Amino acid sequence: MRVVVDQDLCGTTGQCVLTLPGTFRQREPDGVAEVCVATVPRTLHAAVRLAASQCPVAAIRVIESDAGDDERAGADPAPCPAEAERHAAKDQRNTGGHDGTV
Amino acid sequence: MDVQETTAACRDAFAELASPACIHDPYPFMRWLREHDPVHRAASGLFLLSRHADIYWALKATGDAFRGPVPGELARYFPRAATSLSLNLLASTLAMKEPPAHTRLRRLISRDFTISQIDNLRPSIARIVAARLDGMAPALERGEAVDVHREFALALPMLVFAELFGMPQDDMFGLAAGIGAILEGLGPHASDPQLATADAASARVQAYFGDHIQRKRTDPRHDIVSMLVGAHDDDADTLSDAELISMLWGMLLGGFATTAATIDHAVLAMLAYPEQRHWLQGDAVGVEAFVEEVLRCDAPAMFSSIPRIAQRDIELGGVVIPKNADVRVLIAAGNRDPDAFADPDRFDPARFYGTSPGMSTDGKIMLSFGHGIHFCLGAQLARVQLAESLPRIQARFPTLALAEQPTREPSAFLRTFRALPVRLHAKGG
Repeated sequence: MRVVVDQDLCGTTGQCVLTLPGTFRQREPDGVAEVCVATVPRTLHAAVRLAASQCPVAAIRVIESDAGDDERAGADPAPCPAEAERHAAKDQRNTGGHDGTV
Repeated sequence: MDVQETTAACRDAFAELASPACIHDPYPFMRWLREHDPVHRAASGLFLLSRHADIYWALKATGDAFRGPVPGELARYFPRAATSLSLNLLASTLAMKEPPAHTRLRRLISRDFTISQIDNLRPSIARIVAARLDGMAPALERGEAVDVHREFALALPMLVFAELFGMPQDDMFGLAAGIGAILEGLGPHASDPQLATADAASARVQAYFGDHIQRKRTDPRHDIVSMLVGAHDDDADTLSDAELISMLWGMLLGGFATTAATIDHAVLAMLAYPEQRHWLQGDAVGVEAFVEEVLRCDAPAMFSSIPRIAQRDIELGGVVIPKNADVRVLIAAGNRDPDAFADPDRFDPARFYGTSPGMSTDGKIMLSFGHGIHFCLGAQLARVQLAESLPRIQARFPTLALAEQPTREPSAFLRTFRALPVRLHAKGG
């Protein structure tokens, strides 16, 4: 499993950081969320899905890529791929040269 | 009002929420509304949603199904905006902005509200808490009643704001005195005199912040106002002094009356449910669970104060909300919806034990901070103030009791108090 944050959408509430501080962090100085792991360990899959469903602006997208990982995200599915496309399409106003690395 | 007997439709839920019965206890009415008229159309044309699932959806659908009013429409949604300073200030706050302006402005402010920045405030919040409790102790120990609303619940967030804004404490106490009146004036059913009182208070806040911004421009310090002035001066065409004043005004409005109300409700919960105080005597996870349950049981801002305008006809629960209707959500009713929180009128911090903040063990969202792009900027600041306060109150005054019945503020919007007098139980009594 991988997880990505749509940094255009991110509302900087820090909810994901409170939920899973080892998986998400807020970048300096503007508080936009970043993912700090390349892949999500299996023990955290459920927690990451929860964090995604809890994000107030649905900016967290879970990519369930692991073979055999057939659990679905339950009642509140991960944000649809359209949001990732919107991310790519939107003209991001860069306020300070942050590279937005995830 | 005996709500169980009421079968006719409620004409205007906002008016009902202002009734003495609802000021005393709004939850029976909210339950009736949720069960009988969950997509309520008030006489004024405003819609009011009261089911958890509908509220959650509406808050999250901002920008898709709903939008904020654009400047040209202000008069339509706020007929008195042309003459009211408060309504004009409201129109310029973050809560009324839409992306992309919202995103840019929110990120400017959120630098000072990141989780780590708020954590950095813990020691100074703890110091303020200890000092206020020290200040209350002599009178309590003499057996006197002390108004914990005024002496602690209101004072703590004011003093925290004074630090954040780089203001002398007395200046903050002076400004804060008018905030309740402003909040009342902004209600959808405020009378003209209420709006006039709000505008007088807003004028004082506006004048003060105008001067304050100039002071911070010439003598910047490590506070939010200095930071915003700096950001503004680098980017002068997009954030005017007027907007900056509106944002500070908005933070004051959103920030401390709500926090104070929640501290009050937390103290009341400690007194009403002594068997639940153990949550405040153990680890931080238990304290956090207690805080979330207080927030769930008594949302301080009972309904959303900003218009969410339907972008199209929206059918919800068999009711069609027409395009361009102003839709509000009754957060306090959603928090007590049994479809989201089992046995919702029971105070039970276990619902939130060990969960992500704001989410129950069943994965349901506690709505008091809102959701979506306007999720409360100060949510973590409020949580930290509560978490730093409640265990200290419990440890310092374990025999705290009500001295007399608290006096509620007669507000349909903000569920709070005028006075919450407490005393200590006689020792060995």
